[in-house]
Amino acid sequence: MTNQFRVLYREFLFRMIDLDMLSAQGDAGRLFGQFAGLLVYFSSMLGLGAFFFDARRMTPEKLLLTNWGTEHFLISTTMLVVGLFAVLSWDSTFLDRRDVFVLAPLPISGRTLFLAKVAASAAALSITVAALNVGTGLTWPMIFMPVGSGFLGLLRCYAAYWIAMFAAGAFIFCSVLVVQGLAAQLPRRRFLRLSAFLQMGAFCLFLCVYFLQPSLASPRALAAAGNQRLLATLPSYWFWGMFQALNGSTAGQPAIAMLVRRAWTGLALAAFGAAAAFLLSYFRTLRKIVEEPDIVPAARGFAWPLPFGNSLATAVVLFSARTLVRSRQHRLILAFYLGLGFTMVIFLMKALLAQQERLGASTGVLSHQANAPLLASTVVMMSAWVFGVRIVFAMPLELRANWIFRVTSVRKTAEYLAASRRPLFVLAVAPVWLGSAALLCSIWPWRAVLQHLVVLGLWGMILAYASLYGFQKIPFTCSYLPGKSNMTFAFLGFWVYVNLVAGGANLERRALDRPASFAAMAALLAAAALCVRWRTIARAKSEESEVQFEETMPPAILVLGLNRDGVVPLR
Amino acid sequence: MLELRQVSKCFAGIPAVDDVSFTARPGEITGYLGPNGSGKSTTMKMITGLLQPTSGKILFEGHPVERDPIAFKQRMGYVPEEPYLYPHLSGLEYLVMVGQLRNLPARRTADRIDGMLRLLSLHGDRHSPISAYSKGMRQKVLLIAALLHDPDLILLDEPFSGLDVASGLVLRSLIQELAARGKTVLFSSHELETVERVCSHVVILHRGKTVADDSIARLRTLMSLPTLEEIFSQLAVEQDTTAISRQIADLIRA
Repeated sequence: MTNQFRVLYREFLFRMIDLDMLSAQGDAGRLFGQFAGLLVYFSSMLGLGAFFFDARRMTPEKLLLTNWGTEHFLISTTMLVVGLFAVLSWDSTFLDRRDVFVLAPLPISGRTLFLAKVAASAAALSITVAALNVGTGLTWPMIFMPVGSGFLGLLRCYAAYWIAMFAAGAFIFCSVLVVQGLAAQLPRRRFLRLSAFLQMGAFCLFLCVYFLQPSLASPRALAAAGNQRLLATLPSYWFWGMFQALNGSTAGQPAIAMLVRRAWTGLALAAFGAAAAFLLSYFRTLRKIVEEPDIVPAARGFAWPLPFGNSLATAVVLFSARTLVRSRQHRLILAFYLGLGFTMVIFLMKALLAQQERLGASTGVLSHQANAPLLASTVVMMSAWVFGVRIVFAMPLELRANWIFRVTSVRKTAEYLAASRRPLFVLAVAPVWLGSAALLCSIWPWRAVLQHLVVLGLWGMILAYASLYGFQKIPFTCSYLPGKSNMTFAFLGFWVYVNLVAGGANLERRALDRPASFAAMAALLAAAALCVRWRTIARAKSEESEVQFEETMPPAILVLGLNRDGVVPLR
Repeated sequence: MLELRQVSKCFAGIPAVDDVSFTARPGEITGYLGPNGSGKSTTMKMITGLLQPTSGKILFEGHPVERDPIAFKQRMGYVPEEPYLYPHLSGLEYLVMVGQLRNLPARRTADRIDGMLRLLSLHGDRHSPISAYSKGMRQKVLLIAALLHDPDLILLDEPFSGLDVASGLVLRSLIQELAARGKTVLFSSHELETVERVCSHVVILHRGKTVADDSIARLRTLMSLPTLEEIFSQLAVEQDTTAISRQIADLIRA
């Protein structure tokens, strides 16, 4: 029993990652490490902020406001990350078809399976919360502790911090389980279809709530009668209230008592619901899994009538589109990048609203004329789509089925690579460009729209060709080695990039009113686009390029390519 | 004509296929036999180009296949040992994609796919995702994909795997029909009875080496054995099967 539990627990924990996606040299442990490392890095950066926090220069009111704001930010960030993790690990939360068929014939009791699955989920949740708070949970409680409470007060603050964080994480994780458990009571086929929408819905909900929730962590906002309903519906404030109560720093706010009640009630309901969902999945859903196929057999098919170039390009585009539409895993990863882009757009839109408020203009006046935030928004969304789609292209689906592309390779490598570039334009550049055209045409003068669409199209072209430089794969057919890119720097890079885009949008805004400036800008972008295109195509046509089906690790020893007498490589 | 000349393949220095030579002629069905791990599928993969031989030559109609792999692949059809297909595509979508990848004319390919799906009783399920297909249905999709471009060389690695009796009989007749029309057929199977009925010529592999390469009739005469199964047992089965089964039964009881 103990051995069975240990084996199953480990298996379920590592199954939070789809091992089928990794190449032969892939390492799930490394991917886990990278994920935890990213959270630890983020936490450490935030944790360092506590050392630069100088409470002595603040008035008591200002100190209270800053502390409360920071506490709420840390709690809501934990809830967001745990929520996203719960959505990403959706398919591995309950036993799936493969588990049922492999484990059912074995003499394993339902209790062991149940406990192993619950333990794996709890461990994953704990790792996420702990990694995300390892830095902040060490430093910020020293700031948050009530003034003059001494060493015991500090210990109490540490305990309050970690209890509140785990409670907030558990609440959001269990809530996702409840939704999943309820949906799982539908016929299995409908559940599988609905799952895709639920995952995307939860994803958008978490991001929107995180970025759009108002700041209510101040004595005045807490006391305002108009805010009570909002406070009662925002779980991040419930757990912020819980932290205040556990920390002993309620500052005589009656609203906090209501928040604490909500937090405990919500947590109890979510935990009860999650337990019920787990039990139902074992007593009811498992049988349904065995009896029904995973995907609904289609009564009729839809044949796409239009070609995307030659037959090879059409095959690759349709294959890519179908994979992206039908693979939940790839859709979710893409949604993550789109979510990042959407987040940046929200920030930019907030800036637009602030600008309107500053100018005293009525809502909508600024948005009905060309403005930098909206210009930047379309470019950011274009970038998020292109990067997101390009990244999911590198992740395979049913890797072992790629033999068909190898045995049917009856054309030159350059043709395959040209066909592999097409889906990025069809699935990323074109939708954003068309969506932006539709949106802007409805609110801006046609001339500004046309001008911006030229810029957006050229920028999309630059991004697409640049991201495809050296890409020698047919989308979704090459194995994936995690850990080749440095995620930390990628996120920092994205942040820097968004700031550059915002600066570029200001330049574009000014150029829109000056035909000469705009012509110069467009010419510059066109030249850059042609240059990037030429470079990417030249690399694809080079002699050493070949279609890649197995990702390889970079060599441990780099060959410098130094030549003796300029001819023979040194050995 | 397909010819293998002293072909070897090593994995980490260990030979999986060792100095194998044989010829498969047009109009003939060549059976490629051997126990598990003897190197049959590795040989098939080397012929298709999925693996590169460590040494030796593979020639098709007298030309090394690596000289013009594109031209070779245009004339070769392959049914792999394992039915690995894209489960999110429907059978029809998969076959249309194969036609497009092979650069076949769209209209003619659509007619061929439609006809073959009907003949192999898959037409009603053509829009269903492959994930919902049984092993036999997947095998049929692989077979259609291999024959879609009317290849001159047909490589079949365990093609009867998962097929029901009726489909198996159809496939057996189909292999004979294709050979009668001048195709070169190399087919690997563990079903020795089928091989004996269908093949005129067999190559038997053992531990990566060729241990027999002749017509079945000549092997029977040379070895004075009445069936292919007995010939195979003598050449490629080292173990005393009865003793092993007894030992297994004993081990379970222990």
